[in-house]
Amino acid sequence: MPKILRFLLLVVVLLSFCKPSSAQNKFTLSGNVTDSETGETLIGASIRLSGTLNGGAVTNSYGFYSASMPLGDYELSVSFIGYNTVRQTISITKDTKLNFILIEDNKLDEVVISATKRDENISSAQMGLQKVNVREINSVPVLFGERDVLKTLQLLPGIKSAGEGNSGFYVRGGATDQNLILLDEAPVYNASHLLGFFSTFNSDAIKDVSVYKGGMPAQYGGRLASVLDIKMNDGNRKEYTAEGGLGLISSRLKVEGPIVKDKGSFMVSGRRTYLDAFLAFAPDSAISNNTLYFYDLNAKANYQLDEKNTLFLSGYFGRDKLGIADSFGFNWGNSTVTLRWNHLYSNRLFSNTSLIYSNYNYVIQNLSEDNNFEVNSSIKDFNLKQDFEYSLSNKHNLKFGVNAIHHTIAPGKLTSSGSSSVNQTNYEDRKGIELATYLSDEWTVTETLNLVYGLRLSSFSLLGPGNIKSYDEDGNITATAPYKSGEFVKSYLNLEPRISASYQLSPSSSIKSAYTRNIQNIHLMSNSTSTSPTDLYIMNSNNVKPEIADQIATGYFRNFNDDKYEFSAEIYYKWMQNQIEYRSGTDLRGNANVEADLLYGDGRAYGLELFLKKRFGKFNGWIGYTWSKTERLFDGINDGRWFYAKQDRTHDLSLVGIYKAGPRWTFSSVFVYNTGNAVTYPSGKYQINGRTVFYYTEKNGYRTPAYHRLDVAATLEGKPGKKLQSSWSFGIYNLYNRQNAFSIDFEDDPDDLTRTRVTQTTLFGIIPSVTWNFKF
Amino acid sequence: MRLTYTFLTGLFAAVLLLTSCEKIITLELDNAGAAVVIDAGLSDQGEIQVVRLSKTYDFTQPNKFNGASGATVVLTSNTGNVVNYTEVEPGIYNSPRIRGRSGVKYTLTVNLEGKTYIATSTMPDKVHIDSLTFKDYNFFGEKSRFVDVNYLDPRGAPNYYRYILRVKGKIEEDVVSEDRFNDGNEVANTIFYDLSDLERDDQIDVEFLCIDRNVYRYFYSLSQNMGGGGPPIAPSNPPSNFSNGALGVFSAYTSSRRTATIPD
Repeated sequence: MPKILRFLLLVVVLLSFCKPSSAQNKFTLSGNVTDSETGETLIGASIRLSGTLNGGAVTNSYGFYSASMPLGDYELSVSFIGYNTVRQTISITKDTKLNFILIEDNKLDEVVISATKRDENISSAQMGLQKVNVREINSVPVLFGERDVLKTLQLLPGIKSAGEGNSGFYVRGGATDQNLILLDEAPVYNASHLLGFFSTFNSDAIKDVSVYKGGMPAQYGGRLASVLDIKMNDGNRKEYTAEGGLGLISSRLKVEGPIVKDKGSFMVSGRRTYLDAFLAFAPDSAISNNTLYFYDLNAKANYQLDEKNTLFLSGYFGRDKLGIADSFGFNWGNSTVTLRWNHLYSNRLFSNTSLIYSNYNYVIQNLSEDNNFEVNSSIKDFNLKQDFEYSLSNKHNLKFGVNAIHHTIAPGKLTSSGSSSVNQTNYEDRKGIELATYLSDEWTVTETLNLVYGLRLSSFSLLGPGNIKSYDEDGNITATAPYKSGEFVKSYLNLEPRISASYQLSPSSSIKSAYTRNIQNIHLMSNSTSTSPTDLYIMNSNNVKPEIADQIATGYFRNFNDDKYEFSAEIYYKWMQNQIEYRSGTDLRGNANVEADLLYGDGRAYGLELFLKKRFGKFNGWIGYTWSKTERLFDGINDGRWFYAKQDRTHDLSLVGIYKAGPRWTFSSVFVYNTGNAVTYPSGKYQINGRTVFYYTEKNGYRTPAYHRLDVAATLEGKPGKKLQSSWSFGIYNLYNRQNAFSIDFEDDPDDLTRTRVTQTTLFGIIPSVTWNFKF
Repeated sequence: MRLTYTFLTGLFAAVLLLTSCEKIITLELDNAGAAVVIDAGLSDQGEIQVVRLSKTYDFTQPNKFNGASGATVVLTSNTGNVVNYTEVEPGIYNSPRIRGRSGVKYTLTVNLEGKTYIATSTMPDKVHIDSLTFKDYNFFGEKSRFVDVNYLDPRGAPNYYRYILRVKGKIEEDVVSEDRFNDGNEVANTIFYDLSDLERDDQIDVEFLCIDRNVYRYFYSLSQNMGGGGPPIAPSNPPSNFSNGALGVFSAYTSSRRTATIPD
């Protein structure tokens, strides 16, 4: 690996000193694009050059752009959705630095007429990328009125909810652990609160949400199915502001402002649920001593040292606490800290260095006298990333970098006091290191053909110390080998090619194709039908191999009516290797030999995704439809025949409508319909020791009833012009009170023991909500 | 105040997680061909040992023991003993009065309709049940009462236990545990069957069995299917120790028992 580092260093040095020969009479235009009111940098704003030259640039995650052009006069237009386009004529006679400040277009109820690039979705070579507008997140109706990024994402084609009210999601046949969820570059391991009903992302703190369903650029790696890249707000650089909301379940507050005006800013955003505040009023101490809440805290600060150097520090701390007085305690949560340094080596070489810490842990306490114990489990990452962006010419934009992640997984430390019958046990920690390097080029081949292609070389090594076991096919231990600290137990090296191309058929239509290979070295063990905070992560080892996915996708993209409507149709096929399932009767809790109970197999997923969106106007919204299949093949399961994975849904339809009825009222509605989950039902029964036992013949061979639901919401904005701006949000979840199946159970009928019966449990019927939001 | 509070928590519980509701539904289920089920045990008590041989039947039929007749059932041990079972009623095969011994490996061979099903089980060392004690809990104002099974786990060797709880003579709970977390200790294992509806002087009875690892695994898997031990998992047939695809299990076990009377 050091060889790769040395090579990269060499490339960096070369690039920062030499200029390509073709650029002799070419100059670089570079700078930042920011919001006029808050000074927040804008991600993904487009800078276009008019005239014969097909050129331009898009701002990166830090609002920086860089474009090359020959000597001459140009008309520039800078645009970003929801902002007024800036046009400017400029003479390029030397390398030029130019910052743009865009003014937010508040008249979203009017059709924005603009001739500039609102057709990024057509011309960009990037495939499988969906962006979620934070405004959309705030308008779409949600359970309990809690705005939620992950639940809004689930309304897009190819992205499916993992269950009723659940923030877990499946992307193109991937499981919930196959999504790489990044918050300011830090991986988040358990992105949900309260057993999945809320995501850990407080939408107040979020600036940009991008999700890659396929065709991930080479800078992303580590998970099979998708990348969800969430960027936090930097904080207002101009003035101090506060905003928040009071809801049925929780309240939120965000404070932001400049550290030094126009130089640096901070943002702190918090959220806490207060169900337990009601418990405290209970006269019965057995109730008032119970706890049940979660909180989130997002904090970020940035400071621009000079023209070429900016520092960012961001953190997330969230925790769920659940406790039953004197008998039981359970808490879990994530912490992430990201320190970043942006540096401009030259006006065409942008560098970002990130140092990231991420920790997920849970604690379970049993407080009863004779059985007391405490379980501590954690997964801790130290992550160093070096990324470069180099604007080679107006035809080539390069991205390259290195990444090293050190993982420590503590599966469980069991402690107890003297009077307890539980023994203290310390399960061995597992350490591993992931190293990766990548190179990616965005190439404008011709006016109509664009390419993003790249390579990612990734390695994983399981490190000592530890007693590493080997198992035979039946799960019996065949050997135990002791390793010392720092010794390499097992290493894997993988090459991940990525390519995505677009060919523009006309100014408003294109076809795109992509091939992607993704590798996953860390795996979530969950044999339950839902995710749980105690789900265990394991790494590759001598027994567990890296998961591999190869995906091909192709699609047709078309804008109508002056880009007012956007339509896309994509098909994909995905092959997956080294997928993991369990033998029946596997106990994942405190099991040092969990690898003995794993089974390995293949997966395949394919589907069609249709998407039609109206992007502007009084009324906007979208229709997303997915037809798909997700199957798995394992030697020891279902007699070695293909079976449907739990994330398989044949049909999945989402309708979203947002209507702005005037300056103050906004109405919105969501309708979802999907095929029921693939489940295993009995095909017979028998008796053991006088009790009824069910006989299963086919894994996931049945379907739960179809799921559908209609939600509505209304937002009333306060009168404009006041210092304190406030708004009310009203919502109704599941308007027609559909009794969707959360689980289906089989049991002896308690009223007639000679019969068995089937019961269906519904989690959420009709649920109204109200939230009051404010800003000053 | 109390009423207000009860209402408030009730409301919140209703609004939050417990808005759930249950209803009875009808499903069209496939009817699989009949499979062979063997439910066989061998205890350390000098008694008639029973093998129950049956076939699976359709889900919609009334619950019954669907006995399979005409099989030959033979028990052998690695100490050279051979015991033949005789069918006493359809599907019920009895041994003469015999006693299994700890440390001996037993093999049960069942021959039915030309197919042979074989399982082995080693009788573990015996651990005696010491006593039963009642324990009261209060979950969010809801009182519940459970029974603890007390015993001393032998240090060193892995041990697997099965608990059969009978309330007023009827089997209400059948659970297993292992000593992974409490090897060598005085153990008080709680059986999470709520006894708070019982009245004073009602009788409960716990049969405490020491079983081997495969049998433990079988019953653990069975309890997972029924939602025991955490969130529901995708169900599957528990791993049988019989060959040739038979369902069920053969367990050589030791047994001890305690009864208790519900206090106030």
